Amino acid sequence: MATKKPVKKSAKKSAKKLVKKPVKKLVKKPGRRGPRSAAQRVTGLLVMLPWIMQRKRVKISAMAKQFNLTEAELIEDLQMAAVCGVPPYTPDALIDVYMDNGMVIAEVPLVFSRPLKLSTAELFAISVMAQTALQLPGANKKGPLSTALAKIAPLMPSGAETIKVELPRTRFVKELLEAANSGERHEIEYFSPASQKRSTRIITVRKVFEDAGRWYVAADDHQSREDRVFRIDRIEHLTAVGIFDAIKEVQDEDLPWFSQKMPQVTLRVEPSARWIVESYPYISRVNNRINNRDVVDITMSITSEHWLGRLLLRAGGGVKVLKPVEYRNLGKQSAQTILDRYKKSGTSI
Amino acid sequence: MPVKISQAERMMNLLALLVDRTRPLTLRQIRQDLGKQYPDSDEAARAAFERDKAALREMGIPIETKTLGGDAAGEVTYWVNRSNYELSDLRLSDDERLALQLAVATVRLGAQHGEEALWKLGGERKLRPTATSVNIGLVDENTSAITDAVMKRRTLNFNYKGEKREVDPYGMLSRSGFWYIIGFDHLRKDQRVFRVDRIDGNVGVSEARAFTTPVAFNVAAAVPTEKQMLAAGDGEQTTAVVLVDAALAAGVRNEFGDSAVIRDRTDGSVEFSIPCANMSAFRLWLFAMVESAEVLAPESVREQVVQWLEELVAGK
Repeated sequence: MATKKPVKKSAKKSAKKLVKKPVKKLVKKPGRRGPRSAAQRVTGLLVMLPWIMQRKRVKISAMAKQFNLTEAELIEDLQMAAVCGVPPYTPDALIDVYMDNGMVIAEVPLVFSRPLKLSTAELFAISVMAQTALQLPGANKKGPLSTALAKIAPLMPSGAETIKVELPRTRFVKELLEAANSGERHEIEYFSPASQKRSTRIITVRKVFEDAGRWYVAADDHQSREDRVFRIDRIEHLTAVGIFDAIKEVQDEDLPWFSQKMPQVTLRVEPSARWIVESYPYISRVNNRINNRDVVDITMSITSEHWLGRLLLRAGGGVKVLKPVEYRNLGKQSAQTILDRYKKSGTSI
Repeated sequence: MPVKISQAERMMNLLALLVDRTRPLTLRQIRQDLGKQYPDSDEAARAAFERDKAALREMGIPIETKTLGGDAAGEVTYWVNRSNYELSDLRLSDDERLALQLAVATVRLGAQHGEEALWKLGGERKLRPTATSVNIGLVDENTSAITDAVMKRRTLNFNYKGEKREVDPYGMLSRSGFWYIIGFDHLRKDQRVFRVDRIDGNVGVSEARAFTTPVAFNVAAAVPTEKQMLAAGDGEQTTAVVLVDAALAAGVRNEFGDSAVIRDRTDGSVEFSIPCANMSAFRLWLFAMVESAEVLAPESVREQVVQWLEELVAGK
């Protein structure tokens, strides 16, 4: 039985995933690495040696960063490579790689000058990534990415043709992508379902991103003077303002919604609503057997009360709020609000 | 005495030797050439050599073997054919490498394979953040087995919804945050769609069996959209009239198209004709809009919605 790995970290991490992702199995953040195996080191060298031989000279610090190694690990690997070669292991029969004055230098290729063939996993990754990038609004479909893909194509196994990625088509993504690169301010009219209100804001776009089938824009909101994330499909109007701000690089970790403080709830999920456990990330999970039913108690972060009300409605009677107490009747209240609407409108047309 | 040497170093030397020599070598010759890098005892040397050979093969280096006859009957020779494991020069231009670099930096897939491919293609991983990112993360313990099987057209075995399935994977699709496998299900004897994250436990891949994908197979058309899901059911009513408030109307129009619009009201709300043959899918869709949508007709569907709501209010 595959068990999902719950997000153990902070609410910060789960908050990020919450809006982001009807989650698959969450990957564990790599912790401190243990000693690297011989196979790992050789695999790494077989990638790094052709790479450095092609470049001849690269800074040790830059190369370590490029390959996700500490400088000590890189030096250790390259020192080992430098004593490898072919019999009789005289200096001219060893791999010509050495370090001098903070630089890695590899001038005379002996063996290992060509990279290994791409593995199936690597071919899968590079083709899917290129194919996806080509779908981005405004992508040059006849540009270098297409021609690169065409050059890789002969290496692809035949099954690769039927692997496809679909990106959601959302209005304004193209304009916002351009705004992220130009720094031009835009006025947006935005609808917030949580408050049921529309507002007009002036934003400077910092990053445009897609996740779990939706497009978002991270921006400086000049009204609130805060960094905000907006769902692009909820932007109803977009107008360029003609004022340009300096471009600022934003790391994913710094996106504002990832650091929002989210309230946590504990839900009891009945078998009928098990899709919730599959679809949303949770912080912890306990399997229970109650009255001959296998229920799951999950603790998760929520984005708003409105969001939780919506989840409870959709789950029908399959979910109960255990904690906090103030949300215990939220499902009923949400249902009552809709019921009032039906009663008010009377019979159908 | 063997020289003190790490396994990594010995593997590098073994590979360099096999690549460098034009003739196949026996283990005896390899030990001689490597000059005491393997243990002295035949048994220990053989075991260490087998370990190195297995690890190199695991990395994608095909070490070929041939058992000799004649005077050397029974002895095995080993060699590596560079063209079988080295990447041929794809003659990528700098612009093409940069375009791939940007694609790898923009699209999140969950593992580092994209970066590894870039390095092998002579490129570099982009270290600065990009202004755009797309997350199609395929993070699953079965990822490599599944993608390998799909690319090489091998049959998959896995547990799904409590049943053992044997599936010829015709294709894969990433849509709305999920990855799907579409293939021929030997249990149902028909084409079926499976969500990768719903597979229970480990996936097995058959070694021998290969299959052919139907000529007319279209991966995107094989996975039903939400609209098609709502219509795929045996409910008595096939469509419902749903009034959606102005705030959400644009989204629904975008999803179902102009042909689903019955009437635009003056306050900006819109009446849509929405498929509802699959009532549980319809319920999920409808309640996602909370109080911003209302079923107007037919009466039986409206009554069903009211009944659901009353049950919720009553705490049933």
